[in-house]
Amino acid sequence: MLLFKLAFRNIFRQRRRSLLTAMSLIGGYVLSVFSFSMSEGSYNSAIAFFTQDHTGHIQIHKDDYLQRPKIHKTIEQPDELSALLDANERIASHTLRVFAPSLAYSETDNTPAQVIGVDLARERTTSTLAAKVSAGSYISPELDGEGYYSAMIGAGIANNLNIGLGDELILISQGADGSIANDIYIVGAIVGDRSSGDRSTVYLPLAAAQEFLSMYDAVHEASILLRDDRLAREEAAALQALLPDLSVDPWQVVEATFYQSMQTDKQGNLVFLGIIIFIVFVGVLNTVLMSVLERTREFGVLKAIGSRPAKLAMMITVETMLLSSISVLAGIVLSVPLILWFTYTGFALPEPMDVGGVLMSHFTGELSLYVFAVPMILILSFAILISIPAGIRAALNSPTEAMRSH
Amino acid sequence: MTAVISSTDVCRFFGDEEATLVKAVDHVSIEIERGEFTAIVGPSGSGKTTLLHLIGGLDNPTSGAVHLSGTNIAEMTGTALSDFRRDHIGFIFQAYNLIPVFSAEENIEYIMLLQGVDAAERKRRVAAMLAQVGLEGLGDRRPNKLSGGQQQRVAIARAMVSHPEIILADEPTANLDSKTGIALLDLMKELNEKHNMTFVFSTHDEKIMKRASRLIHMLDGKIDLDESK
Repeated sequence: MLLFKLAFRNIFRQRRRSLLTAMSLIGGYVLSVFSFSMSEGSYNSAIAFFTQDHTGHIQIHKDDYLQRPKIHKTIEQPDELSALLDANERIASHTLRVFAPSLAYSETDNTPAQVIGVDLARERTTSTLAAKVSAGSYISPELDGEGYYSAMIGAGIANNLNIGLGDELILISQGADGSIANDIYIVGAIVGDRSSGDRSTVYLPLAAAQEFLSMYDAVHEASILLRDDRLAREEAAALQALLPDLSVDPWQVVEATFYQSMQTDKQGNLVFLGIIIFIVFVGVLNTVLMSVLERTREFGVLKAIGSRPAKLAMMITVETMLLSSISVLAGIVLSVPLILWFTYTGFALPEPMDVGGVLMSHFTGELSLYVFAVPMILILSFAILISIPAGIRAALNSPTEAMRSH
Repeated sequence: MTAVISSTDVCRFFGDEEATLVKAVDHVSIEIERGEFTAIVGPSGSGKTTLLHLIGGLDNPTSGAVHLSGTNIAEMTGTALSDFRRDHIGFIFQAYNLIPVFSAEENIEYIMLLQGVDAAERKRRVAAMLAQVGLEGLGDRRPNKLSGGQQQRVAIARAMVSHPEIILADEPTANLDSKTGIALLDLMKELNEKHNMTFVFSTHDEKIMKRASRLIHMLDGKIDLDESK
């Protein structure tokens, strides 16, 4: 206790110097927390954007469909799979899809298109497809009065084929059985705009796509949204154990390129954070060394009356840690309202910015223990680190030589 | 009588080359008995403070042995030497050398904290020592709020509170006026007689010399004269 009292009073011995040191530590901490919150918030927004837009938190395929998609690599009993996924309380929703490249025609033009057959009811709760409808309305899975299925087409296709709502769309592709697949659909909705990722996509009701591609009731993909997105890896492993004949992958594997670039960027942020704190601590090291130098005589006396060398070194560490801890506490008090504003309000960017391949138009931060804890741990670790040379200096001083200094 | 301090052929030389070699203590052998009130005297540069530092384990001899209560402290280093000083020796310095951020009470208490004495006992002993050195009611004052004499009284209390066998005092009255110096010497003499504590002074203060039971005169690092009264 007396050691803490001594450390505390020593900090307040040179008030102005301690205050300046604390201010640089507080500034470093707040800056680090803000930068961390910004990077975590950006990535969380990006992850939420594409997992909810299309990818989901987990995807299930047959064999290596994810790496080498082929029309015949299908999940054969999708109803059984759906029943299993519906019974899992950790899964919020899931949807089933089929995919096929095709050619789309109007009366006058043609264009390449990616056909995606979706379970329309499940897709509504699993992805943001319904929200992306920019014209018309989210289609029905039923045939219309004239015996046609409806299709939702990307704005790029609508533009290339010069067609709109109610017009006919002809699709040609290859069926799973090797036959030529072709059929006519009625445009029921336009999805997104001409810059959207799915501008060249044609969405069909699942049954219509299965019929078009001669796939019967098979599907290519099950996409799953979890109640807690942080458990994607664990839940994927658990599902994989239940489904040994299928490949179950978390979004980190499905979107490996994004995930790896995000991890690299995060490591870069950590290095940047380390550099900020290192620069701050060059000043702190100077303060600590000055403080030890000024008290050389006092350390000599403490050693003479029986303080162990290690105790003196510990005293320096306690002082540095105490000053750093007080600064971090003040930094937390200052940064909490800032991060609260940044998380719940944030700011709009004048131009959209590419974050790991996802365009961000609005910046928000993240409010989490992680954002506050990592800079705190870094600062306190640096505090211990820089107190070591000063502590060694104090510990190794000869008491007689130390007491001769002024 | 038992020798609590014994130095055998102790040398402390500074510098490496013969031309610049300073023989601060040169082959000194002394024995000091328990309860003695001894003064090491001599002109500046005679080696008295260096000898006191060697006896107190604050410095290591170039050669020779220093035994305190039967332990050769010349062979001790680091933590062992710190622990030995803490438990066996009390120091009083010319410049008082109190910890400026501690109150008088805390300065006295600190050494007992190092010894692991429990809080209640520490409090009791601090109060007793403050009373003994005549500083009752001033325990909560920091050194800068005390006079030189009062600070030296705190230093005496700090040196004695851990019940060491030996008190080493380096010019304890040099910074004090004559009246205060005499009062403090009388206090130390009283404590010496009351507790049979061994006091060794390094001084050229006549007042100490008059009260000392033994005077060890040093000149050029050697004992010039050793007289008991």
